[in-house]
Amino acid sequence: MSGFTLRLKAPATERINLAGITPARLASLSSHEIGSLNVGIEKGGLALGDAFDISGSAGDTLTIEGSGAALDFVGGGLDSGSIRIIGDVGAYAARKMTGGKLEIRGNAGNYLGSGTTGGRIYVSGNAGDNLGGAIAGDRFGMLGGLAIIEGNVGHRAGEKMRRGIVIVRGKTGEGTGTRMIGGTIWAEGGIGPTPGLMMRRGTLIGPSVERLLPTFVDCGKHDLVIIRILARYLKGVLGDLAPKPMPLFVRKIAGDMAAIGRGEILLPAS
Amino acid sequence: MSMTVNGVVVDDTFAEAFGMSGTGIIITADTLKWARIAATVATGFGTSVIGCGAECGIDRELSPDETPDGRPGVRILMFGFSPDALVPQIRNRIGQCVLTSPGSACYAGLKAAQSIGLGKAPRFFGDGFQTAKKLGTSRYWRVPVMDGEFVIEEETGVTTEAVGGGNMLIVGNDRAGLLETAEEAVEAISKVDDVITPFPGGIVRSGSKVGAKYSGMFASTNDAFCPTLRGTVKSELGPDTLAVLEIVIDGLTSKAVAEAMRAGLKAVTNSGAKRGVTRITAGNYGGKLGQHHYHLKDLI
Repeated sequence: MSGFTLRLKAPATERINLAGITPARLASLSSHEIGSLNVGIEKGGLALGDAFDISGSAGDTLTIEGSGAALDFVGGGLDSGSIRIIGDVGAYAARKMTGGKLEIRGNAGNYLGSGTTGGRIYVSGNAGDNLGGAIAGDRFGMLGGLAIIEGNVGHRAGEKMRRGIVIVRGKTGEGTGTRMIGGTIWAEGGIGPTPGLMMRRGTLIGPSVERLLPTFVDCGKHDLVIIRILARYLKGVLGDLAPKPMPLFVRKIAGDMAAIGRGEILLPAS
Repeated sequence: MSMTVNGVVVDDTFAEAFGMSGTGIIITADTLKWARIAATVATGFGTSVIGCGAECGIDRELSPDETPDGRPGVRILMFGFSPDALVPQIRNRIGQCVLTSPGSACYAGLKAAQSIGLGKAPRFFGDGFQTAKKLGTSRYWRVPVMDGEFVIEEETGVTTEAVGGGNMLIVGNDRAGLLETAEEAVEAISKVDDVITPFPGGIVRSGSKVGAKYSGMFASTNDAFCPTLRGTVKSELGPDTLAVLEIVIDGLTSKAVAEAMRAGLKAVTNSGAKRGVTRITAGNYGGKLGQHHYHLKDLI
Protein backbone atom coordinates (compact mmCIF):
# COMPACT_ATOMS: atom_id res chain seq x y z
CA MET A 1 0.00 0.00 0.00
CA SER A 2 2.68 2.50 -0.97
CA GLY A 3 1.74 5.93 -2.25
CA PHE A 4 2.39 9.64 -1.97
CA THR A 5 1.45 11.80 1.00
CA LEU A 6 0.70 15.51 0.58
CA ARG A 7 0.89 17.65 3.69
CA LEU A 8 -0.35 21.23 3.43
CA LYS A 9 2.59 23.46 4.37
CA ALA A 10 0.48 26.30 5.73
CA PRO A 11 -3.20 27.19 5.90
CA ALA A 12 -4.27 28.01 2.34
CA THR A 13 -4.63 31.69 1.50
CA GLU A 14 -6.27 30.99 -1.84
CA ARG A 15 -8.47 28.24 -3.30
CA ILE A 16 -6.52 25.14 -4.27
CA ASN A 17 -7.78 23.03 -7.14
CA LEU A 18 -6.83 19.36 -6.80
CA ALA A 19 -8.76 18.09 -9.85
CA GLY A 20 -6.86 15.30 -11.50
CA ILE A 21 -4.46 14.80 -8.60
CA THR A 22 -4.92 11.05 -8.41
CA PRO A 23 -2.63 8.15 -7.46
CA ALA A 24 -2.49 6.93 -11.05
CA ARG A 25 -1.55 10.33 -12.44
CA LEU A 26 1.14 10.95 -9.81
CA ALA A 27 2.56 7.48 -10.47
CA SER A 28 3.08 8.40 -14.11
CA LEU A 29 5.11 11.54 -13.37
CA SER A 30 8.63 12.25 -12.16
CA SER A 31 9.06 13.92 -8.79
CA HIS A 32 9.93 17.18 -10.53
CA GLU A 33 6.81 17.02 -12.65
CA ILE A 34 4.68 16.25 -9.59
CA GLY A 35 6.05 19.21 -7.71
CA SER A 36 5.37 21.49 -10.70
CA LEU A 37 1.70 20.58 -11.15
CA ASN A 38 -0.43 23.70 -11.04
CA VAL A 39 -3.07 23.54 -8.33
CA GLY A 40 -3.75 27.26 -8.12
CA ILE A 41 -6.66 29.17 -9.59
CA GLU A 42 -5.10 32.62 -9.71
CA LYS A 43 -3.08 34.18 -12.50
CA GLY A 44 0.37 33.26 -11.23
CA GLY A 45 -0.61 29.68 -10.51
CA LEU A 46 0.45 27.61 -7.53
CA ALA A 47 2.76 24.61 -7.78
CA LEU A 48 1.78 21.48 -5.89
CA GLY A 49 5.26 21.39 -4.39
CA ASP A 50 4.89 24.96 -3.08
CA ALA A 51 1.59 24.23 -1.36
CA PHE A 52 2.36 20.76 -0.02
CA ASP A 53 5.22 18.76 1.38
CA ILE A 54 5.34 15.71 -0.85
CA SER A 55 6.60 12.42 0.51
CA GLY A 56 6.31 8.74 -0.25
CA SER A 57 6.53 6.92 -3.53
CA ALA A 58 4.28 5.97 -6.39
CA GLY A 59 1.44 3.61 -5.46
CA ASP A 60 -2.28 3.15 -5.58
CA THR A 61 -3.03 5.41 -2.62
CA LEU A 62 -2.73 9.11 -2.01
CA THR A 63 -2.97 10.64 1.45
CA ILE A 64 -3.66 14.33 1.99
CA GLU A 65 -2.96 15.61 5.47
CA GLY A 66 -3.70 18.94 7.09
CA SER A 67 -6.49 19.48 4.63
CA GLY A 68 -8.94 22.36 4.87
CA ALA A 69 -12.06 23.79 3.30
CA ALA A 70 -10.01 25.69 0.69
CA LEU A 71 -9.15 22.46 -1.14
CA ASP A 72 -11.59 22.07 -4.03
CA PHE A 73 -12.10 19.22 -6.49
CA VAL A 74 -10.36 16.71 -4.22
CA GLY A 75 -10.59 13.33 -5.91
CA GLY A 76 -11.82 14.96 -9.11
CA GLY A 77 -11.42 12.51 -11.96
CA LEU A 78 -10.37 9.64 -9.68
CA ASP A 79 -10.64 6.41 -11.64
CA SER A 80 -8.75 3.87 -9.55
CA GLY A 81 -6.88 3.49 -6.29
CA SER A 82 -7.79 5.45 -3.22
CA ILE A 83 -7.41 8.95 -1.82
CA ARG A 84 -7.57 9.49 1.91
CA ILE A 85 -7.98 13.00 3.29
CA ILE A 86 -7.38 13.90 6.91
CA GLY A 87 -9.38 17.06 7.49
CA ASP A 88 -12.09 18.97 5.70
CA VAL A 89 -12.37 19.54 1.96
CA GLY A 90 -13.98 22.30 -0.06
CA ALA A 91 -16.42 22.13 -2.94
CA TYR A 92 -16.72 19.68 -5.80
CA ALA A 93 -14.92 16.76 -4.15
CA ALA A 94 -15.18 13.59 -6.27
CA ARG A 95 -16.23 15.67 -9.27
CA LYS A 96 -16.56 13.31 -12.26
CA MET A 97 -15.00 10.46 -10.31
CA THR A 98 -15.36 7.18 -12.22
CA GLY A 99 -13.87 4.61 -9.84
CA GLY A 100 -11.69 4.01 -6.81
CA LYS A 101 -12.32 5.18 -3.29
CA LEU A 102 -12.36 8.66 -1.78
CA GLU A 103 -12.27 8.78 1.99
CA ILE A 104 -12.70 12.12 3.70
CA ARG A 105 -12.00 12.13 7.43
CA GLY A 106 -13.73 15.43 8.01
CA ASN A 107 -16.47 17.49 6.39
CA ALA A 108 -17.09 18.00 2.69
CA GLY A 109 -18.27 21.21 1.04
CA ASN A 110 -20.92 21.80 -1.59
CA TYR A 111 -21.43 19.67 -4.69
CA LEU A 112 -19.74 16.56 -3.36
CA GLY A 113 -20.06 13.82 -5.97
CA SER A 114 -21.36 15.97 -8.81
CA GLY A 115 -21.00 14.15 -12.11
CA THR A 116 -19.66 11.05 -10.34
CA THR A 117 -20.20 7.90 -12.40
CA GLY A 118 -18.57 5.24 -10.22
CA GLY A 119 -16.45 4.44 -7.20
CA ARG A 120 -17.11 4.95 -3.54
CA ILE A 121 -17.12 8.15 -1.46
CA TYR A 122 -16.96 8.10 2.32
CA VAL A 123 -17.30 11.20 4.50
CA SER A 124 -16.93 10.85 8.25
CA GLY A 125 -18.49 14.24 8.92
CA ASN A 126 -21.11 16.37 7.19
CA ALA A 127 -21.53 17.35 3.55
CA GLY A 128 -22.72 20.71 2.23
CA ASP A 129 -25.44 21.64 -0.20
CA ASN A 130 -26.10 19.93 -3.53
CA LEU A 131 -24.55 16.61 -2.63
CA GLY A 132 -24.62 14.59 -5.87
CA GLY A 133 -26.14 17.60 -7.57
CA ALA A 134 -25.62 19.11 -11.00
CA ILE A 135 -23.43 22.15 -11.40
CA ALA A 136 -24.31 24.92 -13.86
CA GLY A 137 -23.91 23.61 -17.39
CA ASP A 138 -24.26 19.97 -16.41
CA ARG A 139 -27.26 18.00 -17.58
CA PHE A 140 -27.19 15.60 -14.65
CA GLY A 141 -25.89 15.39 -11.12
CA MET A 142 -24.55 12.11 -9.80
CA LEU A 143 -24.58 9.37 -12.45
CA GLY A 144 -23.38 6.35 -10.50
CA GLY A 145 -21.26 5.16 -7.61
CA LEU A 146 -21.92 5.07 -3.93
CA ALA A 147 -21.58 7.83 -1.34
CA ILE A 148 -21.78 7.39 2.42
CA ILE A 149 -22.06 10.44 4.65
CA GLU A 150 -21.86 9.74 8.36
CA GLY A 151 -23.24 13.13 9.35
CA ASN A 152 -25.90 15.44 7.93
CA VAL A 153 -26.10 16.93 4.46
CA GLY A 154 -27.26 20.33 3.23
CA HIS A 155 -30.01 21.45 0.91
CA ARG A 156 -31.04 19.96 -2.44
CA ALA A 157 -29.04 16.75 -2.14
CA GLY A 158 -29.38 14.76 -5.35
CA GLU A 159 -30.55 17.64 -7.53
CA LYS A 160 -30.85 16.23 -11.06
CA MET A 161 -29.22 13.03 -9.82
CA ARG A 162 -29.71 10.27 -12.37
CA ARG A 163 -28.14 7.12 -10.92
CA GLY A 164 -26.12 5.90 -7.94
CA ILE A 165 -26.76 5.58 -4.23
CA VAL A 166 -26.28 8.11 -1.44
CA ILE A 167 -26.51 6.97 2.17
CA VAL A 168 -26.79 9.67 4.80
CA ARG A 169 -26.51 8.52 8.37
CA GLY A 170 -27.95 11.80 9.62
CA LYS A 171 -30.59 14.08 8.10
CA THR A 172 -30.88 15.66 4.70
CA GLY A 173 -31.68 19.32 4.24
CA GLU A 174 -34.49 21.03 2.40
CA GLY A 175 -35.36 20.02 -1.15
CA THR A 176 -33.70 16.61 -1.17
CA GLY A 177 -34.12 15.02 -4.60
CA THR A 178 -35.16 18.23 -6.31
CA ARG A 179 -35.52 17.53 -10.06
CA MET A 180 -34.19 14.04 -9.40
CA ILE A 181 -34.16 11.74 -12.43
CA GLY A 182 -33.09 8.45 -10.84
CA GLY A 183 -30.93 6.85 -8.19
CA THR A 184 -31.47 6.41 -4.47
CA ILE A 185 -30.94 8.60 -1.42
CA TRP A 186 -31.32 6.79 1.88
CA ALA A 187 -31.40 9.20 4.85
CA GLU A 188 -31.27 7.18 8.04
CA GLY A 189 -31.83 10.24 10.22
CA GLY A 190 -34.77 11.53 8.22
CA ILE A 191 -35.61 13.44 5.07
CA GLY A 192 -35.71 17.23 5.28
CA PRO A 193 -38.64 19.44 4.28
CA THR A 194 -40.24 19.56 0.82
CA PRO A 195 -38.28 16.84 -0.92
CA GLY A 196 -38.61 15.94 -4.58
CA LEU A 197 -39.68 19.20 -6.21
CA MET A 198 -40.21 18.31 -9.91
CA MET A 199 -38.74 14.89 -9.23
CA ARG A 200 -39.28 12.56 -12.24
CA ARG A 201 -37.97 9.22 -11.00
CA GLY A 202 -35.73 7.97 -8.21
CA THR A 203 -36.16 6.88 -4.62
CA LEU A 204 -35.86 8.70 -1.30
CA ILE A 205 -35.83 6.44 1.76
CA GLY A 206 -35.95 7.45 5.37
CA PRO A 207 -37.68 6.95 8.73
CA SER A 208 -39.58 10.22 8.34
CA VAL A 209 -40.05 13.26 6.17
CA GLU A 210 -40.36 16.74 7.62
CA ARG A 211 -42.94 18.26 5.24
CA LEU A 212 -44.31 16.96 1.96
CA LEU A 213 -45.07 18.99 -1.12
CA PRO A 214 -48.77 18.99 -2.03
CA THR A 215 -47.91 17.35 -5.34
CA PHE A 216 -46.89 14.08 -3.64
CA VAL A 217 -49.55 11.41 -3.20
CA ASP A 218 -49.88 8.53 -0.75
CA CYS A 219 -49.92 5.14 -2.52
CA GLY A 220 -50.38 3.14 0.68
CA LYS A 221 -48.57 0.39 2.53
CA HIS A 222 -46.60 -2.17 0.50
CA ASP A 223 -44.15 -5.05 0.77
CA LEU A 224 -41.74 -4.10 -2.02
CA VAL A 225 -39.33 -6.69 -3.36
CA ILE A 226 -36.97 -3.94 -4.55
CA ILE A 227 -36.39 -2.85 -0.94
CA ARG A 228 -35.20 -6.38 -0.12
CA ILE A 229 -32.91 -6.37 -3.14
CA LEU A 230 -31.49 -2.97 -2.23
CA ALA A 231 -30.88 -3.98 1.39
CA ARG A 232 -29.11 -7.19 0.37
CA TYR A 233 -27.07 -5.41 -2.27
CA LEU A 234 -25.89 -2.76 0.21
CA LYS A 235 -25.10 -5.37 2.85
CA GLY A 236 -23.04 -7.20 0.25
CA VAL A 237 -20.97 -4.22 -0.87
CA LEU A 238 -20.81 -2.23 2.37
CA GLY A 239 -20.92 -4.84 5.12
CA ASP A 240 -21.28 -3.08 8.46
CA LEU A 241 -21.56 0.31 6.78
CA ALA A 242 -24.87 -0.69 5.17
CA PRO A 243 -27.95 1.07 6.49
CA LYS A 244 -30.26 -0.80 8.81
CA PRO A 245 -32.85 -2.58 6.62
CA MET A 246 -36.28 -1.02 6.32
CA PRO A 247 -39.21 -2.91 7.85
CA LEU A 248 -41.01 -5.37 5.58
CA PHE A 249 -43.82 -2.94 4.86
CA VAL A 250 -43.19 0.60 3.67
CA ARG A 251 -45.47 3.49 2.83
CA LYS A 252 -44.96 4.65 -0.73
CA ILE A 253 -45.47 8.32 -1.51
CA ALA A 254 -45.30 9.04 -5.23
CA GLY A 255 -44.37 12.26 -6.96
CA ASP A 256 -43.79 14.82 -8.12
CA MET A 257 -47.19 14.62 -9.79
CA ALA A 258 -46.45 18.05 -11.25
CA ALA A 259 -43.80 16.23 -13.31
CA ILE A 260 -44.29 12.60 -14.42
CA GLY A 261 -44.77 11.25 -10.90
CA ARG A 262 -42.56 8.19 -11.16
CA GLY A 263 -40.45 9.19 -8.16
CA GLU A 264 -41.10 7.80 -4.71
CA ILE A 265 -40.52 8.48 -1.03
CA LEU A 266 -40.47 5.30 1.04
CA LEU A 267 -41.17 5.53 4.75
CA PRO A 268 -41.71 2.78 7.33
CA ALA A 269 -45.38 1.82 7.33
CA SER A 270 -46.98 2.54 10.69
CA MET B 1 -15.53 -54.44 -25.59
CA SER B 2 -18.44 -54.26 -23.18
CA MET B 3 -18.03 -54.63 -19.42
CA THR B 4 -20.35 -55.85 -16.71
CA VAL B 5 -20.89 -53.81 -13.55
CA ASN B 6 -23.02 -55.27 -10.75
CA GLY B 7 -24.76 -57.51 -13.24
CA VAL B 8 -25.49 -54.74 -15.78
CA VAL B 9 -23.74 -54.89 -19.14
CA VAL B 10 -22.21 -51.54 -20.09
CA ASP B 11 -21.71 -51.25 -23.84
CA ASP B 12 -18.40 -50.03 -25.22
CA THR B 13 -19.97 -47.05 -26.90
CA PHE B 14 -20.42 -43.33 -26.43
CA ALA B 15 -23.11 -40.68 -26.20
CA GLU B 16 -22.82 -38.09 -28.93
CA ALA B 17 -23.84 -34.57 -27.92
CA PHE B 18 -23.99 -31.19 -29.58
CA GLY B 19 -22.86 -27.65 -28.84
CA MET B 20 -25.71 -25.41 -27.75
CA SER B 21 -26.36 -22.03 -26.20
CA GLY B 22 -27.59 -22.02 -22.63
CA THR B 23 -28.82 -19.55 -20.08
CA GLY B 24 -29.84 -19.59 -16.42
CA ILE B 25 -32.68 -17.72 -14.73
CA ILE B 26 -33.55 -17.44 -11.04
CA ILE B 27 -37.21 -17.31 -10.14
CA THR B 28 -38.19 -16.33 -6.60
CA ALA B 29 -41.53 -16.02 -4.84
CA ASP B 30 -42.96 -15.59 -1.36
CA THR B 31 -42.73 -19.34 -0.82
CA LEU B 32 -40.75 -22.15 -2.41
CA LYS B 33 -44.05 -23.67 -3.49
CA TRP B 34 -44.87 -20.67 -5.67
CA ALA B 35 -41.33 -20.33 -7.00
CA ARG B 36 -41.55 -23.98 -8.03
CA ILE B 37 -44.95 -23.45 -9.65
CA ALA B 38 -43.66 -20.53 -11.73
CA ALA B 39 -40.51 -22.46 -12.69
CA THR B 40 -42.46 -25.58 -13.63
CA VAL B 41 -44.83 -23.66 -15.86
CA ALA B 42 -42.03 -21.60 -17.45
CA THR B 43 -40.08 -24.74 -18.35
CA GLY B 44 -43.11 -26.65 -19.62
CA PHE B 45 -43.23 -27.75 -23.25
CA GLY B 46 -39.44 -27.55 -23.28
CA THR B 47 -38.33 -31.08 -24.02
CA SER B 48 -36.62 -30.73 -27.38
CA VAL B 49 -35.47 -27.88 -29.60
CA ILE B 50 -36.93 -29.80 -32.54
CA GLY B 51 -40.50 -29.05 -31.58
CA CYS B 52 -40.41 -26.75 -28.57
CA GLY B 53 -37.94 -24.05 -29.55
CA ALA B 54 -35.90 -24.60 -26.40
CA GLU B 55 -34.98 -27.34 -23.97
CA CYS B 56 -35.79 -26.23 -20.44
CA GLY B 57 -35.77 -27.57 -16.95
CA ILE B 58 -35.24 -26.87 -13.27
CA ASP B 59 -31.59 -27.03 -12.25
CA ARG B 60 -32.05 -26.71 -8.50
CA GLU B 61 -33.86 -25.04 -5.66
CA LEU B 62 -32.23 -22.05 -3.97
CA SER B 63 -32.31 -21.09 -0.33
CA PRO B 64 -33.15 -17.47 0.59
CA ASP B 65 -29.42 -16.82 1.12
CA GLU B 66 -28.75 -17.61 -2.52
CA THR B 67 -31.25 -15.26 -4.14
CA PRO B 68 -31.00 -11.50 -4.76
CA ASP B 69 -34.15 -10.72 -2.78
CA GLY B 70 -33.68 -13.13 0.13
CA ARG B 71 -36.72 -15.21 -0.75
CA PRO B 72 -36.79 -18.87 -1.72
CA GLY B 73 -36.17 -19.55 -5.38
CA VAL B 74 -35.56 -21.95 -8.19
CA ARG B 75 -32.92 -21.82 -10.90
CA ILE B 76 -34.06 -22.86 -14.34
CA LEU B 77 -31.91 -23.48 -17.41
CA MET B 78 -32.86 -22.97 -21.06
CA PHE B 79 -30.97 -24.32 -24.06
CA GLY B 80 -31.33 -23.39 -27.71
CA PHE B 81 -29.47 -23.43 -30.99
CA SER B 82 -28.09 -19.90 -30.46
CA PRO B 83 -28.43 -16.90 -28.14
CA ASP B 84 -30.76 -15.31 -30.72
CA ALA B 85 -32.96 -18.39 -30.69
CA LEU B 86 -33.31 -18.08 -26.90
CA VAL B 87 -34.55 -14.48 -27.04
CA PRO B 88 -38.19 -15.22 -28.03
CA GLN B 89 -38.24 -18.23 -25.71
CA ILE B 90 -37.26 -16.10 -22.73
CA ARG B 91 -39.67 -13.34 -23.72
CA ASN B 92 -42.63 -15.69 -24.05
CA ARG B 93 -41.93 -18.07 -21.19
CA ILE B 94 -41.09 -15.33 -18.67
CA GLY B 95 -43.81 -13.02 -19.94
CA GLN B 96 -46.54 -15.61 -19.88
CA CYS B 97 -45.51 -17.91 -17.05
CA VAL B 98 -43.44 -15.96 -14.50
CA LEU B 99 -44.80 -12.43 -14.78
CA THR B 100 -48.26 -13.92 -14.28
CA SER B 101 -47.37 -16.03 -11.24
CA PRO B 102 -48.31 -14.51 -7.83
CA GLY B 103 -45.45 -12.90 -5.92
CA SER B 104 -42.81 -13.88 -8.46
CA ALA B 105 -39.57 -12.10 -9.35
CA CYS B 106 -36.95 -13.02 -11.90
CA TYR B 107 -33.17 -12.58 -11.92
CA ALA B 108 -30.06 -13.49 -13.86
CA GLY B 109 -29.09 -17.08 -13.14
CA LEU B 110 -25.83 -17.24 -15.05
CA LYS B 111 -22.74 -15.07 -15.07
CA ALA B 112 -21.08 -15.15 -18.47
CA ALA B 113 -19.16 -12.86 -20.79
CA GLN B 114 -22.15 -12.61 -23.10
CA SER B 115 -25.57 -11.50 -21.94
CA ILE B 116 -29.11 -11.76 -23.24
CA GLY B 117 -32.28 -9.81 -22.52
CA LEU B 118 -34.35 -11.07 -19.61
CA GLY B 119 -36.57 -8.19 -18.58
CA LYS B 120 -36.03 -6.14 -21.71
CA ALA B 121 -39.33 -7.19 -23.22
CA PRO B 122 -41.52 -8.10 -20.20
CA ARG B 123 -40.94 -4.65 -18.69
CA PHE B 124 -43.16 -3.10 -21.36
CA PHE B 125 -46.12 -4.79 -19.69
CA GLY B 126 -45.82 -1.85 -17.28
CA ASP B 127 -47.27 0.44 -19.95
CA GLY B 128 -45.01 3.31 -18.98
CA PHE B 129 -45.51 2.90 -15.22
CA GLN B 130 -42.44 0.65 -14.98
CA THR B 131 -39.31 2.05 -13.32
CA ALA B 132 -35.76 0.79 -13.12
CA LYS B 133 -33.20 0.65 -10.33
CA LYS B 134 -29.56 0.07 -11.19
CA LEU B 135 -27.52 -1.51 -8.40
CA GLY B 136 -23.89 -2.20 -9.24
CA THR B 137 -23.87 -3.69 -12.70
CA SER B 138 -27.44 -5.00 -12.55
CA ARG B 139 -30.55 -3.11 -13.60
CA TYR B 140 -33.83 -4.22 -12.06
CA TRP B 141 -37.17 -3.36 -13.63
CA ARG B 142 -40.18 -2.84 -11.41
CA VAL B 143 -43.42 -3.53 -13.23
CA PRO B 144 -46.63 -2.65 -11.37
CA VAL B 145 -49.00 -5.63 -11.24
CA MET B 146 -52.14 -6.41 -9.29
CA ASP B 147 -50.36 -7.99 -6.29
CA GLY B 148 -47.64 -5.33 -6.04
CA GLU B 149 -44.60 -5.20 -8.29
CA PHE B 150 -43.03 -7.76 -10.60
CA VAL B 151 -39.26 -7.26 -10.35
CA ILE B 152 -37.14 -8.56 -13.20
CA GLU B 153 -33.45 -8.09 -13.92
CA GLU B 154 -32.72 -6.59 -17.32
CA GLU B 155 -30.24 -9.21 -18.53
CA THR B 156 -28.91 -12.65 -17.78
CA GLY B 157 -25.77 -14.41 -18.97
CA VAL B 158 -25.70 -16.75 -21.95
CA THR B 159 -23.03 -19.23 -22.89
CA THR B 160 -22.32 -20.78 -26.27
CA GLU B 161 -20.24 -23.48 -24.58
CA ALA B 162 -23.31 -25.43 -23.47
CA VAL B 163 -23.90 -29.03 -24.46
CA GLY B 164 -27.18 -30.70 -25.41
CA GLY B 165 -27.90 -34.35 -25.93
CA GLY B 166 -25.80 -36.18 -23.40
CA ASN B 167 -27.67 -39.45 -23.04
CA MET B 168 -27.89 -43.00 -21.79
CA LEU B 169 -30.22 -45.82 -22.83
CA ILE B 170 -31.31 -48.19 -20.09
CA VAL B 171 -32.30 -51.61 -21.39
CA GLY B 172 -34.17 -54.28 -19.42
CA ASN B 173 -36.72 -57.02 -19.12
CA ASP B 174 -39.01 -55.48 -16.49
CA ARG B 175 -40.77 -52.28 -17.54
CA ALA B 176 -41.76 -51.20 -14.01
CA GLY B 177 -38.30 -51.94 -12.64
CA LEU B 178 -36.71 -50.12 -15.54
CA LEU B 179 -38.78 -47.01 -14.82
CA GLU B 180 -37.88 -47.10 -11.12
CA THR B 181 -34.21 -47.39 -12.01
CA ALA B 182 -34.44 -44.53 -14.50
CA GLU B 183 -36.16 -42.41 -11.86
CA GLU B 184 -33.29 -43.09 -9.48
CA ALA B 185 -30.81 -42.09 -12.15
CA VAL B 186 -32.68 -38.82 -12.80
CA GLU B 187 -32.69 -38.14 -9.05
CA ALA B 188 -28.92 -38.67 -8.94
CA ILE B 189 -28.43 -36.40 -11.96
CA SER B 190 -30.56 -33.68 -10.39
CA LYS B 191 -27.94 -33.32 -7.65
CA VAL B 192 -25.38 -32.22 -10.26
CA ASP B 193 -25.33 -28.44 -10.80
CA ASP B 194 -25.70 -26.78 -14.20
CA VAL B 195 -27.58 -29.64 -15.88
CA ILE B 196 -31.17 -30.52 -16.66
CA THR B 197 -32.99 -33.58 -17.95
CA PRO B 198 -35.61 -31.85 -20.11
CA PHE B 199 -37.99 -34.73 -20.89
CA PRO B 200 -41.04 -35.69 -18.77
CA GLY B 201 -39.72 -36.65 -15.36
CA GLY B 202 -36.29 -36.60 -17.01
CA ILE B 203 -37.06 -39.78 -18.97
CA VAL B 204 -37.75 -40.42 -22.68
CA ARG B 205 -39.54 -43.50 -23.93
CA SER B 206 -39.55 -42.37 -27.56
CA GLY B 207 -35.91 -42.20 -28.51
CA SER B 208 -35.49 -40.93 -32.05
CA LYS B 209 -33.28 -41.39 -35.06
CA VAL B 210 -32.46 -38.62 -37.52
CA GLY B 211 -34.88 -38.33 -40.45
CA ALA B 212 -37.86 -40.43 -41.54
CA LYS B 213 -39.46 -41.97 -44.56
CA TYR B 214 -41.91 -39.06 -44.61
CA SER B 215 -40.77 -35.75 -46.02
CA GLY B 216 -40.75 -32.90 -43.52
CA MET B 217 -40.02 -35.12 -40.54
CA PHE B 218 -36.68 -34.26 -38.88
CA ALA B 219 -36.78 -37.23 -36.53
CA SER B 220 -38.68 -40.47 -36.18
CA THR B 221 -38.85 -43.48 -33.90
CA ASN B 222 -35.57 -45.24 -33.18
CA ASP B 223 -36.73 -48.58 -34.65
CA ALA B 224 -33.51 -50.35 -33.73
CA PHE B 225 -34.42 -49.87 -30.04
CA CYS B 226 -38.15 -50.63 -30.32
CA PRO B 227 -38.70 -54.07 -28.74
CA THR B 228 -41.90 -54.73 -30.68
CA LEU B 229 -40.01 -54.43 -33.98
CA ARG B 230 -37.35 -56.94 -33.00
CA GLY B 231 -37.07 -59.44 -35.80
CA THR B 232 -38.52 -57.07 -38.40
CA VAL B 233 -35.68 -54.49 -38.42
CA LYS B 234 -31.98 -54.50 -37.73
CA SER B 235 -32.55 -54.46 -33.98
CA GLU B 236 -30.05 -53.44 -31.32
CA LEU B 237 -31.93 -55.43 -28.69
CA GLY B 238 -31.43 -58.92 -27.36
CA PRO B 239 -34.23 -61.51 -27.24
CA ASP B 240 -35.15 -60.90 -23.57
CA THR B 241 -35.46 -57.12 -23.80
CA LEU B 242 -38.89 -55.78 -22.95
CA ALA B 243 -38.30 -52.03 -22.87
CA VAL B 244 -35.73 -49.26 -23.25
CA LEU B 245 -35.78 -45.87 -21.52
CA GLU B 246 -33.49 -42.95 -22.33
CA ILE B 247 -32.24 -40.09 -20.19
CA VAL B 248 -31.19 -36.96 -22.09
CA ILE B 249 -28.94 -34.44 -20.38
CA ASP B 250 -28.27 -30.80 -21.26
CA GLY B 251 -25.61 -28.85 -19.40
CA LEU B 252 -24.01 -25.44 -19.32
CA THR B 253 -20.59 -27.07 -19.71
CA SER B 254 -19.28 -30.34 -21.12
CA LYS B 255 -17.82 -31.11 -17.70
CA ALA B 256 -21.24 -30.81 -16.06
CA VAL B 257 -22.78 -33.18 -18.63
CA ALA B 258 -20.01 -35.72 -18.03
CA GLU B 259 -20.56 -35.46 -14.26
CA ALA B 260 -24.28 -35.93 -14.72
CA MET B 261 -23.74 -39.01 -16.90
CA ARG B 262 -21.36 -40.40 -14.33
CA ALA B 263 -23.98 -39.92 -11.59
CA GLY B 264 -26.69 -41.50 -13.74
CA LEU B 265 -24.57 -44.50 -14.70
CA LYS B 266 -23.64 -45.08 -11.08
CA ALA B 267 -27.29 -45.07 -10.02
CA VAL B 268 -28.25 -47.52 -12.76
CA THR B 269 -25.41 -49.95 -12.15
CA ASN B 270 -25.86 -49.79 -8.37
CA SER B 271 -29.45 -50.96 -8.27
CA GLY B 272 -30.50 -51.79 -11.82
CA ALA B 273 -29.82 -55.52 -11.98
CA LYS B 274 -32.27 -56.44 -9.23
CA ARG B 275 -34.99 -54.46 -11.04
CA GLY B 276 -34.51 -56.14 -14.37
CA VAL B 277 -31.98 -53.80 -15.99
CA THR B 278 -29.75 -55.89 -18.20
CA ARG B 279 -27.76 -53.40 -20.15
CA ILE B 280 -26.86 -49.75 -20.52
CA THR B 281 -25.85 -48.14 -23.78
CA ALA B 282 -25.87 -44.70 -25.42
CA GLY B 283 -27.09 -42.99 -28.54
CA ASN B 284 -24.73 -41.69 -31.21
CA TYR B 285 -24.54 -40.99 -34.91
CA GLY B 286 -21.21 -42.65 -35.52
CA GLY B 287 -19.39 -39.69 -34.05
CA LYS B 288 -19.71 -37.58 -37.16
CA LEU B 289 -22.43 -35.10 -36.10
CA GLY B 290 -21.83 -34.12 -32.50
CA GLN B 291 -18.75 -32.35 -31.15
CA HIS B 292 -18.95 -33.98 -27.73
CA HIS B 293 -18.45 -37.72 -27.15
CA TYR B 294 -19.00 -39.27 -23.73
CA HIS B 295 -17.63 -42.83 -23.60
CA LEU B 296 -19.51 -44.90 -21.04
CA LYS B 297 -16.44 -46.86 -19.96
CA ASP B 298 -14.68 -43.60 -19.05
CA LEU B 299 -17.56 -42.58 -16.81
CA ILE B 300 -18.02 -45.81 -14.86
